[in-house]
Amino acid sequence: MNQYEGMFLLDNQVVRADYKAAKTVVLDVLKKHGGQVVTARRWDERRLAYPIKGRLRATYILTHFEAGPDAITGIRHDAELDERILRYLFLAVEGVPPTEIELSAAEGDDFAPPPPPADDAVDREESVEGGLPTQDGDIPEEDSVGEDGPVNLDDEEDA
Amino acid sequence: MAMKSASKPRAPLVPMGKKRCDDPRIDYKDLTYITKFMTPQAQIQSRRRTSFCAQCQRQLKQAVKRARHVGLLPFVG
Ligand SMILES: [Zn+2]
Repeated sequence: MNQYEGMFLLDNQVVRADYKAAKTVVLDVLKKHGGQVVTARRWDERRLAYPIKGRLRATYILTHFEAGPDAITGIRHDAELDERILRYLFLAVEGVPPTEIELSAAEGDDFAPPPPPADDAVDREESVEGGLPTQDGDIPEEDSVGEDGPVNLDDEEDA
Repeated sequence: MAMKSASKPRAPLVPMGKKRCDDPRIDYKDLTYITKFMTPQAQIQSRRRTSFCAQCQRQLKQAVKRARHVGLLPFVG
């Protein structure tokens, strides 16, 4: 079993309807592939630096989990296909920071965050007409050379 | 180097010769820290300016790349 940190950007429309159900989307993907979730919490809700899948804001779910070496591929695949997950990032880590365990535990089953601001959708006409970089593949990737660090699970850009 | 460059002089963030990188791991989520080493145009500052060792500069670059991937930082336009 390897230890991973996983960040998931969730569609605020799903979060707005039911935070717990939205969080479960993430947990289910991890569990489906044998991942053992150690922590999971709402890290933030924020405006995105650039639109992702037509969204201007997202809810960030930060997780730590253990999974077999082959599990990440499946998790990544499912996260990619799930339209409620706008983006994800996995890093191999050495352990779980104590603060994460505390913060995750503090987020109990009845936790309900304030509803995300409503202005999270890219203006439809703009996104259809204007060729804005709303699709993942359109984001220019720079300085992607020579990234061979020991914890490089995130180097795939979403195709 | 007789002529003064038209661009703004870029003094190192710390005095020359002093490395300011004791933290071996740079967390992509720590935007307060990361953005200290970025230009207002969201570009990574040069190693000369950050005074990072090669390893830390590389980690900074990796952290910025990760932060960009998850929409925490913009790609340079
Ligand atoms: Zn260093």
